Amino acid sequence: MAAANLSNIKADVPYGTLDLLILKTLDTLGPLHGYRIARRIEQVAENLLRLNQGSIYPALMRLEQQGWIRTEWGVSETKRKVKVYSLTRAGAKQLGIEVANWERATALVARFLEAKA
Amino acid sequence: MNLRWTVTRLLALFRKRNLEQELEGEILAHLEAAEQEALAAGLSPAEARSAAQRQFGGIAQMKEAHRDQRSVQWLENLVRDFRYGIGALARDPAFATICIGLLALGIGANAAMFSLVDAVLLKPLPFPEPERMVRVWESTPMGRNPTTTLTFLDWKRQTGIFEALSVESPVKAATSVGGDPARVSGKLVSTDYFQVFRVKPQLGRSFAPGEDQPGAAPVVILSHAFWQTHFAGDPGILNRELMLDGEPHKIIGILPAGSFDREDAVFWKPLIFTRDQMNRGQHWLAPIGRLRRGVSLEQAQARMTALRANLNDVIYQKDWGFAVDPFARMLVGDTLRRSIYLAFGAVAMVLLIACANVTNLALARGVSRRKEMAVRAALGASRGRLIAQLLTENLVLCLLGAVAGIALADLLLRAASPWVASSLPFTANLGIDLRVLAFTALAVMSVLLLTGLLPSLKTSFGSLTKTLNQSGRTSSGSHAPIRRAIVIGEVAASVLLISGAALLFKSLAKLQEVDPGVRIDHILTMSVDLPLAAYPSPQSAIQFYRTITRKLEAVPGVERAAVSQGLPLTGVQWGEYMRLPGVPEPVLVRLKLIDPGYFGALGIPVLTGRGIGAGDRAGTTPAVVINQELARQLAKTFKMTSPVGQRVMLDVPGYGTVPESPVNTEIIGVVRSERTNGLNTPLELVAYMPLAQAPRQDVNLVVRTRSSPVAAIAAIRAAVHEIDPNLPLADVRTMEQVKQQSTLWMRQPTWVIGAFAALAALLAALGLYGVLAHAVSQQRREIGIRMAIGASSRDVLSHILSSALSMLLVGLSVGLAGTFALTRVLKTLLFHVSALDPAALAAAAVFMILIGLLAAWVPAARAAHVSPMTVLREEG
Repeated sequence: MAAANLSNIKADVPYGTLDLLILKTLDTLGPLHGYRIARRIEQVAENLLRLNQGSIYPALMRLEQQGWIRTEWGVSETKRKVKVYSLTRAGAKQLGIEVANWERATALVARFLEAKA
Repeated sequence: MNLRWTVTRLLALFRKRNLEQELEGEILAHLEAAEQEALAAGLSPAEARSAAQRQFGGIAQMKEAHRDQRSVQWLENLVRDFRYGIGALARDPAFATICIGLLALGIGANAAMFSLVDAVLLKPLPFPEPERMVRVWESTPMGRNPTTTLTFLDWKRQTGIFEALSVESPVKAATSVGGDPARVSGKLVSTDYFQVFRVKPQLGRSFAPGEDQPGAAPVVILSHAFWQTHFAGDPGILNRELMLDGEPHKIIGILPAGSFDREDAVFWKPLIFTRDQMNRGQHWLAPIGRLRRGVSLEQAQARMTALRANLNDVIYQKDWGFAVDPFARMLVGDTLRRSIYLAFGAVAMVLLIACANVTNLALARGVSRRKEMAVRAALGASRGRLIAQLLTENLVLCLLGAVAGIALADLLLRAASPWVASSLPFTANLGIDLRVLAFTALAVMSVLLLTGLLPSLKTSFGSLTKTLNQSGRTSSGSHAPIRRAIVIGEVAASVLLISGAALLFKSLAKLQEVDPGVRIDHILTMSVDLPLAAYPSPQSAIQFYRTITRKLEAVPGVERAAVSQGLPLTGVQWGEYMRLPGVPEPVLVRLKLIDPGYFGALGIPVLTGRGIGAGDRAGTTPAVVINQELARQLAKTFKMTSPVGQRVMLDVPGYGTVPESPVNTEIIGVVRSERTNGLNTPLELVAYMPLAQAPRQDVNLVVRTRSSPVAAIAAIRAAVHEIDPNLPLADVRTMEQVKQQSTLWMRQPTWVIGAFAALAALLAALGLYGVLAHAVSQQRREIGIRMAIGASSRDVLSHILSSALSMLLVGLSVGLAGTFALTRVLKTLLFHVSALDPAALAAAAVFMILIGLLAAWVPAARAAHVSPMTVLREEG
């Protein structure tokens, strides 16, 4: 397999970005339950991302422990009692920091890639 | 890792089941939603379900990640190991019971001993700023001495040094709360006495200035305990009257519960100096004070030295100075301090031995658990996890041992308190408090490391395949060298303790052998205090002495009766100067006041001249009898070879408040010396004077009985009651009890260390037994083969016993070497016994070997009865 069709390759979630994706999702769409968050990330990524939907739950737990998101009990489309996650004020602030970090990192990498000998 | 993070994770530990259910619900909801969407997109139900699951990913991995995220893994492991540990111990109850018992014994004894050490030596006094509390003395070339009234008043004026300075003079008074006359102890103090302690009465008030001036209305403050026992804690007690020696005293205050309840004294009243006491001749006051804030002990001492120089003209004893000592130090004598440290060392040794036993048991158990460990390792447990698990099991043991130990310590303290209370300062409160618990926690931690580390390292070690391939029986004692070394250590430590105990017991025996110089058997003693109100004159007191002896001698069963001030072995109150004619230098002698019956009742023979007679009374020449020691001293120093008939000047205390005065006396006889101060102290120079010529209020009755002295107590009480129904008898003791109490300082540490030594020997023997029994059960096959090829039972027995003996002998030599190294520690407590006394050390060695061989006999006999046929068949 010498060459591959780039559009068919799905990447894993880049290391450390899942938190950012979740925070951004909640920031854009407001309170959501777990499945909706996972679906939203997949939809935005279209077919670029290979996400194990289950992996967002440990991440949600981590964000909640940090105090960046909070949970309430709500009801899903299938009429089940589920946890609904929303961004806290600290979470909104953290999102800003993470976005800035991400932009700095990508800008840095981009400059290296553009740099000529 | 912020606080919030820590808290949520710790909380998660307790909400574990809840959180697990929540997660389960979330997964279900998620899968359901995904399924619905897939259905809506047109997939079949089966396809929809599998698509949802595929998208979700591995559920088990996610759950594990979730658990890791939400909680503290090592804590969860700890909890799990803890549960597992309890289970493992429950499966092996014999092992658990023995270990917990051993640890409880060791930890309990240590906690109890620490309570004592803490209360007596470590804890600050239970008063505010105790470092400012001092005792003030006159210092003589021979030591500290009480001071005189006028000098005390000079000190009291030094308000730049002392915030408060008070006298403290013990007194006894007759009172009759609730019918029977009783004699209670109290203290005569200055009005600022409680300011020295910074203690405020719980009820009422302290003394007011001026209440110690002549003519002030008599007031009294009572101890909390006395208020509780005699007035049932009546809150309306204030301003009521308490009769003391027939005089009504207004109760103005009740002290708070605590330290003052542990003192003899139950009442405190102001000391009012009489005109006669205003002198610088009578040394009778031992003041205690509180330094002004900011004045250091050194500064106080310097200023007092300066004051002494200023007072040089009026003070008679030109070579005496003033001394300020910390109050705390004066409370605990050197002997007590040493005894306590010694006992603490001994009890720590017992704990070490107990730990060694537990370690040995755990090692033995480890051999049989190797397989279990190997299986766990094969299933993926890391070595660290295995060690952690074994240590946690050990922690369970230690905690259970500690709980049982604290209960034991509480029991020990309750049992021992009454026995030791009289030897401890009144500030010492024995009991389990936070400090003792903290000490226990520390002890448990060290025990955990001592008993857990070695077995868990040893048990978790080793090659997996080798262990799994071995058959159970042949995995014989590979720890044998370690376990033998531990037993040798136990034996050595025990030998150290036993040798110490043997030396102390020999000392005690020597002390008990000392001739007290008086009869001990069939003697009953008691004390009375003649109240000045009822016996105002010397004549009335002398009349009482005469009547009481006559009356007592009429009691059936009583052979002799006598009156004296002070008893043998309890010290002599008065030290006076005796001046010989033509000799400028006075001789300091102890002055005892006795009646004509004293020498006869106590069996003290008159060597030359005569004893005190009925004819030596007021009006005749004041008579003095000296003891042999004094006669020897006079002959040696002043060449006075025949003292009888010599005139000497002697300072003699007066009756009531009358001060002492010099009296021209004649020596009429010499008696054999009695031990006045204690069996261990050298004979003192003693002069006796007739009570009829120098009467006192505070006297003792000495009664010699034909049969048991205890049986005569009731009749004697009745006889005293007949003479004076208001006169209470106190300190009713047989002479035997007096003697026992005088040796208490020696008996207490001896028995305590003896008990610890016995315990240590027992534990060491147990350890030896354990190792041999284990070895025998592991070597049954070997023994069987040996016997099959011709070894006799006898050979096997002697083989095991000689192995025990070799351990014992090595331990013994190490222990004896330790004893030699520690001689200095023990020396000060020994009496007429060298710290290397060969007989005592030999006895200790023989004792240890005997008890060790006894312990070895059981497994040795078992080995000797191994039947080769059975063993070899077992092997199949």
